[in-house]
Amino acid sequence: MSADLALSIRNLALSFKSWSGTSQVLHGIDLEIKRGERVALVGESGSGKSVTARIILGTLHELKSARISGEVWVAGREMSSLSQSERQALRGTDISMIFQDPTTALNPVYTIRQQFHEVLMRGDPKISLSTAEQRSADILREVSITDTERVLESYPFQLSGGMNQRVMIGMALINEPQLLLADEPGTALDVTVQAQTLRLMRDLVRQHGTSVLFISHNLGVVREFADRIYVIYKGRIVETGPAASIFDDPRHAYTKALLAAIPRLTGGGIPEIQEDSEAFFDPMVTHEDVSA
Amino acid sequence: MTAQPILSAHNLTRDFRVGKRTIRAVDDISFDVQKGECLAIVGESGSGKSTVANMILGIHPPTSGTLSFHGEELPVKRTLLHREKIQLVQQNPLSSLNPRRSIAASLRLALDVHKHGTRGERPQMVQKLLEEVGLDPSFANRSPSALSGGQRQRVAIARALACQSEVVVLDEPTSALDVLVQARILRLLDDLRTMHGLTFIFITHDLSVVRNIADRVAVFQYGKLVELADTEALFENPTEEYTRSLISAVPVVSTEEVELRGRLSKTEAADGGVESPGA
Repeated sequence: MSADLALSIRNLALSFKSWSGTSQVLHGIDLEIKRGERVALVGESGSGKSVTARIILGTLHELKSARISGEVWVAGREMSSLSQSERQALRGTDISMIFQDPTTALNPVYTIRQQFHEVLMRGDPKISLSTAEQRSADILREVSITDTERVLESYPFQLSGGMNQRVMIGMALINEPQLLLADEPGTALDVTVQAQTLRLMRDLVRQHGTSVLFISHNLGVVREFADRIYVIYKGRIVETGPAASIFDDPRHAYTKALLAAIPRLTGGGIPEIQEDSEAFFDPMVTHEDVSA
Repeated sequence: MTAQPILSAHNLTRDFRVGKRTIRAVDDISFDVQKGECLAIVGESGSGKSTVANMILGIHPPTSGTLSFHGEELPVKRTLLHREKIQLVQQNPLSSLNPRRSIAASLRLALDVHKHGTRGERPQMVQKLLEEVGLDPSFANRSPSALSGGQRQRVAIARALACQSEVVVLDEPTSALDVLVQARILRLLDDLRTMHGLTFIFITHDLSVVRNIADRVAVFQYGKLVELADTEALFENPTEEYTRSLISAVPVVSTEEVELRGRLSKTEAADGGVESPGA
């Protein structure tokens, strides 16, 4: 894998084995994220977007019923060639993840300070309490939290959803990961809070030069965030290209349907959605990257 | 105005005791809902929109103020008839449908409680309800866990329609669904409204949905009704700063929408309010 790639997925296939047979979830997908690039993976529930994130994190490798083939290169290492403990060492340091609902992702019985300390210890096991304190406060200020003392002392339930989400973003970025996975961050929040957190996250990853894989079911959410977009349908990538190009000129039938399904702020009535069509299985469309 | 409103709220107020403090969740709200219209209630969490819904449904009695239905004041203790006429569809159908009951049994219960049809007719009425919401009759004997999110929401809608309901309170009916499923459910709801002459009270925080389904919009902030206007007018020229910020927070896909948002957020930028999304 070339050095300027933060993530490279080659022909990744996944199936789950159960007593009733195997079900194929991913049918050989390819995906790349350059250093500092923000990429979105967009698809419906069941399309395979969240399992892709879990393979990148390496958590699915531990599941006995999962059959994974293909290559996943993160930070210069191939996930399936690593041992369980090596994969675990990558999580929270080189790869981190932000989940949909911040209040369930944070541990309810520890204060934010203790949780920050735990995360920091993954990067540096000998970190002193005072340094940890200092670095947590710094990152909290970066996510626009000014009363850091109060927040660090709080338990997650004492903070609002938007505040917890910002804490999560701070925790995810504190060890300067090479790759950040964001699985529908903020969908559990209000629109205004969601808009704020997305903006904040976009600015932060830009400053830190973090590569991001953003997973969502709504193309509208990724519009302002992503440089490049992959559209996934039933375990196959159907269209990929620079964000602007996908929005200006969607070519695959499924991408068109996804775009058409979003109600418009300017009106025009409830979108007409045809049932799943054969055209959704058309071969992948790749938009030329003009800047490359 | 013209006809008598089907539902009206007069100076509704609701307080909640939290420890020693009293929190005013809904503060002196009055509005009318006409028969057959879709009134959207929008606002952030904590704005009191769900509390209003609960008062309409009779789950919480108002601390002060009254609600009237067809011009008659709704009692604190609702009669079976009131409960039949005013129905609810919740956000998460997995928690609103009994997991141990089959789809048919859930729908049948509504018919049994409100004594619709004879015992012999009811199984057939259940089949008809399923067809009406676009579900295959073979789903009747499945449990809710064997359905997808969209299908479950269809069952919840069928149950709200099982009786001769007139007002349906929809509490974020599509926010847990994917965009494609959301579009189909919205289409279904709108068709059913025209077909049965239903009145909708549509609670949501997604203004792009509101734009396309509601006739009028009520904007709530901190328990107060800050703006109530026709949908068209509200989106073209919102008078309240808060409404503008709600509209400009909506994720959009097309250039026209970006322009609309830009136009609305211009005044904000001048006030040094919410940062404009394009910045």
